[in-house]
Amino acid sequence: MTFRELSARPWRHRPLSEPFAWLPPEGNTPARWFSVGEWHGRIGAWQQQLLDTPNDSDSWRLYEPDPIEFGAALIAIWERGDRVVLPADNQPETLSGLRDAGVVLGSSGQTPEQMPSTRLPSRPPRWSSEPLPAVAVSLYTSGSSGDPQRIDKRFDQLDAELATQASLWPLRGQLVVSQVSHQHIYGLLFSILRPLCEASPFSAQPCRYPETLHTWLRCCKTEGRRIVLVSAPPALSRLPEALDWQPERAVLETIYSSGAPLSKGASDQVFERLGKPVHEIYGSSETGGIAWRVQQRGSAWTALPGVEVRHDEESRLWLRSSHLETPNQWQRQADLIAPTDDGFELLGRADRIVKIGGKRLSLTAMDRALATLPGVERATTWTLQRRDLRLAAVIQLSPDAMPHDHRQRRETVKRLRRALAARFETPALPRYWRFVDHWPTNTQGKLSAEIRQRLFQDLEDRRAPRWLGERPHESGWRIILEVPEHCIYVDGHFDGQPVLPGIALVHWAMQQARRLFAIDADFSGLERLRFPQPLLPGDRFEMTLEHRQDDAGASLRLECDSQRGKHVSGRIALTARQELKR
Amino acid sequence: MATTALEHELKEMIIETLELEDVTPDDIDPDEPLFVEGLGLDSIDALELGLALQKRYGITLESEAESSRQHFANLRSLAALVESRRQK
Repeated sequence: MTFRELSARPWRHRPLSEPFAWLPPEGNTPARWFSVGEWHGRIGAWQQQLLDTPNDSDSWRLYEPDPIEFGAALIAIWERGDRVVLPADNQPETLSGLRDAGVVLGSSGQTPEQMPSTRLPSRPPRWSSEPLPAVAVSLYTSGSSGDPQRIDKRFDQLDAELATQASLWPLRGQLVVSQVSHQHIYGLLFSILRPLCEASPFSAQPCRYPETLHTWLRCCKTEGRRIVLVSAPPALSRLPEALDWQPERAVLETIYSSGAPLSKGASDQVFERLGKPVHEIYGSSETGGIAWRVQQRGSAWTALPGVEVRHDEESRLWLRSSHLETPNQWQRQADLIAPTDDGFELLGRADRIVKIGGKRLSLTAMDRALATLPGVERATTWTLQRRDLRLAAVIQLSPDAMPHDHRQRRETVKRLRRALAARFETPALPRYWRFVDHWPTNTQGKLSAEIRQRLFQDLEDRRAPRWLGERPHESGWRIILEVPEHCIYVDGHFDGQPVLPGIALVHWAMQQARRLFAIDADFSGLERLRFPQPLLPGDRFEMTLEHRQDDAGASLRLECDSQRGKHVSGRIALTARQELKR
Repeated sequence: MATTALEHELKEMIIETLELEDVTPDDIDPDEPLFVEGLGLDSIDALELGLALQKRYGITLESEAESSRQHFANLRSLAALVESRRQK
């Protein structure tokens, strides 16, 4: 097994003619190798770059998407005895938020402080006798409080992980192809540092799309080369079946996934299409790797060698691991686990950190950011079990900021998303919005699971209105509703000028009445019910309901009003519902 | 400029596939960017759209990923892609 730990500076010891990185084919240009010698030239170039760049501190913020350049910059900084700070992304607020963390290096793209985009010419590297820095890299993740938290990694921590991985799954000179960012710990370890320490080549370009992977597999098949794929759930759960993977897939040796658990369905699909099981790694920036699993063998996670796992009475995970900052101490984590015969199952988190598209997001930070925006009085977000846990937001707006129709609603959403865009990556921005004028709660004052479900019920049921709260009114109830744009009653009724038919309002009124007045009744007739003007998709309106029982029988008084005026007014006669025959 | 039948079909496909709850076909300006600004789609949506195009039109995107993603710039470029490469 070829493994040399980082502390032994493996980059100095490889034969210069050895392949370092694989330049994939582009257009008519065939694939070619980038040698260790060529890469050393890039280290030399970065060493010069660092000399030319004034920096008062001993740390450098590095955001560099090109893996070869990233690797060279990393080594150039370490050889100086300096620390590397890795921002999680290149959002302007992320970079400027790390002001104490030294000069920005690399093609950060969006910041005025960026380095000149032309790269310095290659030159021979200079190996110094400078000791390696105490802290190898610092990463930032969103803590449960929502503030970015710095995590320092020493060389011994990184080396412990790299050694474990090399012994479990030696790379043996296979080509490492990555679909994840090396700005995060998983990508850094698996797609940059492992190849470095195990003297295996990596791809000089990230492989973002399945079509790219398909082409590269074909190319490597011709070259007789085997591939290790470093991937993540967003890419693995969307492998097109239309691509014929069969002829090329034999080239794949191992598939890794990390960042979030892969669903069983996606895992099976990858196995079926690519012919290799996915090795999932569970861990975090703070903890490093904790456990792994292959779902075709079972859903439980197995602790990595050198990692000890236990749980407390609250099901919280406790960890003792050589990957942690204090390797001999048990540390409590935010994850909840349940032990099984062959390992443990993950039950979720005890705090408000979620993963969207594999990226960690603090809901606390999102809520706080939303609450500072103009017109927003209160905000909360959570993930919906739809399409990769997209974010749902409930926003209490001041009356003058409240949207009343489709166009205003779209503008409000656009305004809020734009305001968040400087701070959060696009997939993390809320996708499903509910604007309320009063905070919707149950009788205990909680925005309970039931209320949450009601707020988004129209996503599950295309016949339901968008429910946005309710309060007692005189002797009845006033309910705030919106006409969902894709409501089935609207759909296709009047092409060009879609409206909500009046009968849909009667259906909605009956549904709300059954819930609010606990009546079990059908409508038996519409009495003096007028529909002065139709509601349009996206319209926000108030439905006022009153349940009456008098000599004439039971009835429901119904009014619907929006900013444009009255939409329905009158009475619905009720009869007791027929007993349903079993 | 008038919207073609194919453009309308694609608008509905985008709305359905990506579950854009409050977007109607009229809200999608054929010349407006689909990603980030404009409609506000993101990297996960791009993967999802790629899948939908394959399912619906049998279009396999080229491996030169970046250039094929240029077809996703706006609705018109997407329609042009479908027009020229559709298998069904």
